[in-house]
Amino acid sequence: MAEEIKEESQNKEEQNSVSDCEKQRDEYLDGWKRAKADLINYKRDESRRFEAIVKFANEAIVKDLITVLDSFDLALVTLGGEEDSKTQKGLYLIRRQLEDIMKLSGLERVIVSVGQPFDPGLQEAVAEVESDKAPGTIVEEVENGYTLHGKLIRPARVKVAK
Amino acid sequence: MKILGIDLGTTNSAMAIIEAGEPKILENGEGNRTTPSVTAISKSSERLVGLLAKRQSVVNPKNTIFSVKRLIGRNFDDKEVQHDKSWLPFNIQKSSTGGVEIKMADRWYKPEEISAMVLAKLKADAEAKTGEKIEEAVITVPAYFDDSQRQATKNAGEIAGLKVRRIINEPTAAALAYGLNKQKNEQIVVYDFGGGTFDISVLEVGDETVEVKSTGGDTHLGGDDFDRKIIEYLILEYKKQEGIDISSDPLALQRLKEAAERAKHELSTVFETEINLPYITSGDSGPKHFLLKLTRAKLEELVKAEIERSIELVKKTIKEAGFKPSDIDEVVMVGGQTRMPAIQEAVKKFFGKEPHKGINPDEVVAAGAAIQAGIFQGDVKDILLLDVTPLTLGIETYGGVATPILERNTTIPTQKSQVFSTAADNQTSVEIHILQGERTMASDNKTLAKFILDGIPPSPRGIPQVEVSFDIDANGILNVSAKDKASGKSQSVRIEASTQLSKDDIEKLKQEAAAHSEEDKNKKELAETKNHAEQTVYLAEKSVREAGDKIPVELKDAINQKTEKLKTTIHQSQNIDEIKSTASELSLELQKIGQMMYGQKKEGGEEQNQNPQQ
Repeated sequence: MAEEIKEESQNKEEQNSVSDCEKQRDEYLDGWKRAKADLINYKRDESRRFEAIVKFANEAIVKDLITVLDSFDLALVTLGGEEDSKTQKGLYLIRRQLEDIMKLSGLERVIVSVGQPFDPGLQEAVAEVESDKAPGTIVEEVENGYTLHGKLIRPARVKVAK
Repeated sequence: MKILGIDLGTTNSAMAIIEAGEPKILENGEGNRTTPSVTAISKSSERLVGLLAKRQSVVNPKNTIFSVKRLIGRNFDDKEVQHDKSWLPFNIQKSSTGGVEIKMADRWYKPEEISAMVLAKLKADAEAKTGEKIEEAVITVPAYFDDSQRQATKNAGEIAGLKVRRIINEPTAAALAYGLNKQKNEQIVVYDFGGGTFDISVLEVGDETVEVKSTGGDTHLGGDDFDRKIIEYLILEYKKQEGIDISSDPLALQRLKEAAERAKHELSTVFETEINLPYITSGDSGPKHFLLKLTRAKLEELVKAEIERSIELVKKTIKEAGFKPSDIDEVVMVGGQTRMPAIQEAVKKFFGKEPHKGINPDEVVAAGAAIQAGIFQGDVKDILLLDVTPLTLGIETYGGVATPILERNTTIPTQKSQVFSTAADNQTSVEIHILQGERTMASDNKTLAKFILDGIPPSPRGIPQVEVSFDIDANGILNVSAKDKASGKSQSVRIEASTQLSKDDIEKLKQEAAAHSEEDKNKKELAETKNHAEQTVYLAEKSVREAGDKIPVELKDAINQKTEKLKTTIHQSQNIDEIKSTASELSLELQKIGQMMYGQKKEGGEEQNQNPQQ
């Protein structure tokens, strides 16, 4: 009798240790699966992040070059009176050359038309002016806005009707 | 479920989460790492937050609310509120409970409702970015915020739909980001020079706690003041030069403002910059340009008073905490303006020690908030604590050079292999000498084991492929095996104690490596030069042998003589340049063989079996 009980308790112990082992096994397997999944997810995220980095690596220099485009724009406006002058045409072509190169890097100009409602998603208001246009609509675009691969990097600067 | 760490700032806010145990700043919906703390109801009754609100502020000043942090949780009759009321462009009034109310469009809002709009945007953007629902947050506030300001900030979070797990102090968050909470019994000063406010906090780190000993600063001193000073100076200079006041032209002013900000940033790394704004305006005689040099010295002169004032305030705050500057163990820099070298210099000079400034000062508070959030999260079951190899493991290669296979700090378990070859013709065995350490020469590193792989079929040097694999298991046990790919013969060794070094040992070895790095570099270069020279010798001997009598005796003699000379030089000289020049003399001679053979080929049309080896 006593021996049987002993055997039974031994069996129980063995069972316990087996179930402990199984528990541990499941835990480890789960951990392993998670680690593997983490790595796969990480790799995917990383490649996406890398794409974004490549795409926007130029952002800082493109931003700085926009100010050069601005200067060309101002020069062309200032020379505006002299239609077809040689200087003006040359300046215009250099500006276009620069903008074309920047376009290859993903730069796009924000299209703004006078009379359309002011949209702070793409534009920045620099002044409010009296006008016969409907209040809250664009009266004048004073500086071009630009996007880089769809991300607004410089809002168009506009004057808005009072 | 992620908990968001939020730095709710006076002018800008930032947010971060913990990813793989490290804080990571989240970009907002517009793709920026910080979000202006600005809210507005546009003329078309749209609610705008952040950059969009800022972009329409000029045409909608009464309904564009900023700096609400200056009002939150305060009484309307507070001195500060009364002062700010005079310059804030929007309307505020006393609420029924004595607090502040802000008019935006057709309604009066509590400051916490306005802050909640900023928080709600951050929450939504964070959810979009992570693809997870975010319901909890840790939000930072200045150390001087009282209970009512803290409660109001907490309420703002709740209104935005966030359960605020804790409100923590900004300086504490910054200290957390630098891991200073783990220090014991240290005094820390956090010098926070932001866009619009300047805060100093003296912290004391005890056991598990960070206590604020004193706070000080100036709520109306910041980087914006620096910008203003630069712009004022530029306007004045231009007036002197051209006699034109450009401050009345909004577009010119806008361009000048941007250029001034850019110049300020540039002058943190260069000593002189040019502010170049063509066609800034037009005068009686046509277009006018703006061209002015700004030096770092000039900038420092312009803001000297502000920097000195900030140091005075630091002095005062430390004194209030009951400390002397020499009692301070650590100094932490927060806020974008602390990138300015003059500020770093002034702080360093005052404390006599280098301040912590490695983490982006605009993001350090949000990063710290995320770390606190991570502590709450704690749900990441870290059953797997992965170790790293403390020192580089590698083998000795030709010339006594230690070639690393597993760089130090590689996470283990891991496996890496590399293919090596023989250094001499008909070499039938290679010795694998396993090394541990950071030095470049094998003899300076520790030998872990050596074994020989033999039975490599006789072949010219460089042809056999011996793959050497290092495998470390999770217990740090290193298995190194070498296998000849042609014969399939392999040999391996198991090293139990590759990572059993005490921390001190590791530190010592690393320092030694750093101390000897220059000398080691030279030794390695010498070894490499000698290897290269020996290859030339080998090539010369082989060419002469193969060319046989196709080349004239004079050339053969010249090559043999130069070969012998190079051999002696390799053997005796330690001078890299000498070996190099002797080797190149031989190379030049060798080129003649090629020239001659091609010449012969042209003449005789004879097929030559050119050897592709270089």
